Amino acid sequence: MQLGFLVDLRLCMGCKGCEIACKVENEVPLSTWRLRVKYVDVGSFPETKRTFTPLRCNHCANAPCERICPVSALHYIENGIVNIDKERCIGCAGCIMACPYGAIYIDPITQTADKCTYCAHRIASAMMPSCVVACPVEANIFGDLDDPMSNISKYIQEHQGNVQVRKPEKGTDPHHYYVGGGNVTLNPLASFRAEGHSLFNNLTHLPVGGHH
Amino acid sequence: MAHELIAATNAVVVLDVGLPGIVWGWIITMNMWAKSIGTGIIFIAFYLLKKYPEQIGFIRLPSVIISIVFIHIFLFFTVIDLHQMFRFWHIFFHPHMSSMITIGAWLATGFVGIILGMAYFLYMKKDEAMYDKLLAYGVVLAVPVTLYTAGLMAQSTARELWQMPTESIQMMLAAFLAGSATMILVGGNKFSDEIKKDLALILGFSALSAFIMYMLELVFGPMKAEEVIATLEFVKGGEYTFMFWLGQIIAFLIPMALVCKSIKDKSYYLLKIAAVSALVGLWITKHVWLVIPQLLNMS
Repeated sequence: MQLGFLVDLRLCMGCKGCEIACKVENEVPLSTWRLRVKYVDVGSFPETKRTFTPLRCNHCANAPCERICPVSALHYIENGIVNIDKERCIGCAGCIMACPYGAIYIDPITQTADKCTYCAHRIASAMMPSCVVACPVEANIFGDLDDPMSNISKYIQEHQGNVQVRKPEKGTDPHHYYVGGGNVTLNPLASFRAEGHSLFNNLTHLPVGGHH
Repeated sequence: MAHELIAATNAVVVLDVGLPGIVWGWIITMNMWAKSIGTGIIFIAFYLLKKYPEQIGFIRLPSVIISIVFIHIFLFFTVIDLHQMFRFWHIFFHPHMSSMITIGAWLATGFVGIILGMAYFLYMKKDEAMYDKLLAYGVVLAVPVTLYTAGLMAQSTARELWQMPTESIQMMLAAFLAGSATMILVGGNKFSDEIKKDLALILGFSALSAFIMYMLELVFGPMKAEEVIATLEFVKGGEYTFMFWLGQIIAFLIPMALVCKSIKDKSYYLLKIAAVSALVGLWITKHVWLVIPQLLNMS
């Protein structure tokens, strides 16, 4: 079994329900996110469009974070999830330096690395990840990539030619796919980013916690 | 290229969390800087003891003491950078051998054992032969101890700026630069002109080689990847431009010029200034190169 995620960006409407569900389910501290939805505005008025991209750990088959972790706190479980053992983590931040997707952060409370685990604890109880349950438009599709009859496999088959992963050139083999994505949504360097500014408020830097 | 894409799409991120900030900061710079001195002095001591065994015996004790002190500074900063520093022992009891952090910790431990052994045999047993024997093993181990940080940077796959083998060569050059500079400061005026010239040449060529490599990175780095273009913009008119060039000048250009002048004038005084300049500049240079890839947004 190789669990994977697919987000159909054509369906996502940026409601951030997944973000909140994840926060609540995993008790993610303030100022940190396991899953977040990035808004990018494209074009010039009146020809403008707003895109929404949920970003989470890609659970790569060739995960740089797993490789660099000195104590195997980041490890694979048999269903392909890259899980984290917070009791073992020493907080060296090597995983943060290695992850090309910026998916890992230091939990300011436990002072250990943390990230999306595809809700491994829920999956162990045969439940779907909380973000999948919360999505009102079923833009999040989750399932077994090894099973050709799973929803995610069928979705990938049906949308051949329009299925993307983030930064394929990194060779990480992500188990997280997008349908309807493009350079603007998936490439962080393809859009201008005014530091500290956001649509709703003036967000400051994400604290890395500890003594830094 | 990033800017062409931005111009073409006119895409602006209007809602996202901020950058994670600098995760590996000055503490890791201290780590790399101190390690360069701790292993570099061993390389230089070995070279001098092999080439000038009759003249240079007095460097045995200060060399090993400096190595012990700076390797422990390196270890201290390594540990205090951990967010869970009291779990450091996990590296030894739950080791993950694919990680260069683990391999580096084991190698550094072995290296510390050897240099402590050298100090013991020299100071307690007055056994110079045993010291020299252990020094040879120390040199062998000092190579991977110097290089493992480059391996770690290469494993940091998110940071395209840090490439293997470029970083490994830079680490070795930093060790030779720091080792020769420290030895120049340690030796006082006790060295013969021949030895001073040797040290000056090692310092000068290390500085020249490292400078050339940084300049080549600056020119040819952007041809590697989009991320490298964006990263190098921080030192090409960006917020780290001044610090980058300050480092290059203090670490490499000033020492090179002073080395040439000191050889010409046989001035050991100028060589000492070159040594201090190289050590200070090395810290700045390492710091800039460590920090700039972390300023790039990964998502």
